[in-house]
Amino acid sequence: MIAIEHLAKRFSASGVAKKGLGGGLARLGRGSALRIVHAVRDVSFEAPDGCITGLLGPNGAGKTTTLRMLAGLITPDAGRMSVDGIDVVAQPGAALARMGVLSDARGLYPRLTARENIVYYGRLQGMPADAANARAEQLAQMFEMNALLDRRTDGFSQGERMKTALARALVHDPANIVLDEPTNGLDVLATRALRDSLRWLRSPEGGAKCIVFSTHIMQEVERLCDGVVVVSHGRTVACGTVGDLLAQTGEADFEEAFVRLAFSSDERAHHEVAGPFAGAA
Amino acid sequence: MNNLRMALTVYRKEIVDALRDRRTLLTVLISSVLMGPAVLVAISSLVATFESRAELREVYVVGIEHAPSLKNFFERQTYTVKPAPADFETQLRKAKLADPVVVIPKDFEAALLRGDAPVVEVVVDSANQRSQAGAGRIERLLGGFGRERAALTLALRGVSVDLLEPLQIEDRDLASTQTRATQITGMLPYFVMMAVLYGALNAALDTTAGERERGSLEPLLMNPLDRWVLVLGKWAAVASVGMLIAVLSSLSFLPGQWVLRSDTLAAMFQYGLREASMFLVVLLPFAAAVSAVLMAVAIRCKSFKEAQASATVVMLAASLLPLINVFSLGSESPWYLWVPALAQNVLMTHVLKGETLGAAQVGVPLAVCVALTALGVWFVARTLRSAAVR
Repeated sequence: MIAIEHLAKRFSASGVAKKGLGGGLARLGRGSALRIVHAVRDVSFEAPDGCITGLLGPNGAGKTTTLRMLAGLITPDAGRMSVDGIDVVAQPGAALARMGVLSDARGLYPRLTARENIVYYGRLQGMPADAANARAEQLAQMFEMNALLDRRTDGFSQGERMKTALARALVHDPANIVLDEPTNGLDVLATRALRDSLRWLRSPEGGAKCIVFSTHIMQEVERLCDGVVVVSHGRTVACGTVGDLLAQTGEADFEEAFVRLAFSSDERAHHEVAGPFAGAA
Repeated sequence: MNNLRMALTVYRKEIVDALRDRRTLLTVLISSVLMGPAVLVAISSLVATFESRAELREVYVVGIEHAPSLKNFFERQTYTVKPAPADFETQLRKAKLADPVVVIPKDFEAALLRGDAPVVEVVVDSANQRSQAGAGRIERLLGGFGRERAALTLALRGVSVDLLEPLQIEDRDLASTQTRATQITGMLPYFVMMAVLYGALNAALDTTAGERERGSLEPLLMNPLDRWVLVLGKWAAVASVGMLIAVLSSLSFLPGQWVLRSDTLAAMFQYGLREASMFLVVLLPFAAAVSAVLMAVAIRCKSFKEAQASATVVMLAASLLPLINVFSLGSESPWYLWVPALAQNVLMTHVLKGETLGAAQVGVPLAVCVALTALGVWFVARTLRSAAVR
């Protein structure tokens, strides 16, 4: 189970691109005009075991920053995060051991085979070599990537990369699975295969995992999620099942409901004035 | 214990990754291992040309027919007189002719008899190194002719020849044969250091900026291990690659010695297992420090290419600092030992001179290298997390 309470994070960003010494000098020359960016203002949600919780929000809503804080990459300014009751900030190691995270960046080592990529992470999670190897084969079975297992990942397609990265994140059989926009760049078949895998992981025979995944695609949420958390401008603006959210907004279409929840009336008006393409988001 | 096992896991993976980068590795290995012998062969063939020129005992002359007495002197000194080609000036300029040319005036014998001191030119091109090298020999030969004439004239008048030489001049060279050899072999330490630098460069950049560029650093940090364990494993792998290059290039001079073409140089250039191991004592800490520094520079860069540009500063410093030792012409200051790269160059030059290194000489650069390594590893570990997400 993953619980997040009143999470907040702000960054100080300078207008000048920071590139080593030159950027530093340029900043000095301009006088350091620092801009404060509130990436996450107040995000709270709870993701129970045996459920798929969707983190839905427009681009730049703070989804990735939230998940990065959950993975211990960024220290939050305020708020609490716990994984199975373990505080992420106080015990990042113990929390990470209970989580499998597929982040926005999912780079593989091109000179290693898929198996070596997966086993390496298993070893880093503290698994013995044999166990990691057996688990790699088991995951390959599950994601139908047996043929890929002993090939170097250099020439892999997007879908193949994604499968390898997912297997790598799940190698230690974590009770909690966090996925940041997992369907990005996948074709229809790969997306469906991923959806099936996630459903299986949610089921009691798959381990009744707690699955959190972020997306900006409505259909994903409608088809897959037991619970939805709508995030906009760094805040949690709504929580509940798809049905709850439809009822709350009085809309029949989930996309309409989402737009109503995520954007203020001013923003909606602006998009409509700006033209048909700008409103297609 | 657990941390050690984790660091080993990282180390093993990084080594496998580096060894699979065959093309880069092969380029570095071939250039570093073959470079030692190649430089030695180049130097020795140069020295061998000088030696063979001197052994040939030839003198190129224009107008020898005007000076039978000089021809007679040359032949008594067992020199072969050869007529210079007509366009000898052009040939000297283009470095086609490797010997200086003696030009004798038409009225040589008559002027000599009158006591008019005829002008004999020794024509060289100072840009043509080989002709320049022979000039001293030819001038000494002509001086010998002059002294003989003078001695004969004085003897005819009943004056002692000793009057001509009120002093006796004798050279006493304090340099050992090995010390003299370092004038020629002095650049070898420089080449070895460059090999180590370039060997570590690729691995250091790949494991930091490369990892960022591939997008594999962020997921890597989502594993429950301490950042410094991760960085230590990575650093150890990079340092191992640098050290491997150091070992190979230091050992490459051993067979390199067998191919020396010049006997003189072979006698002067004493490089055995003792020298090779002294080189390694100096180079291994250097490889460790360079790896850490390069990683620290590269971790701030988003891409491999950007890291290469930033690393140029390190490479430039490491290649320019040893030049201080070259330009100071052998007079060393104590602070040299505190400057990385310069210290290593100084120490390796000492080894080539056949000197033993004292504890202080090895200790100071070692301490500097250890400090640099610690600083680099600390900086990478500190920056790693913010580097992953930006």
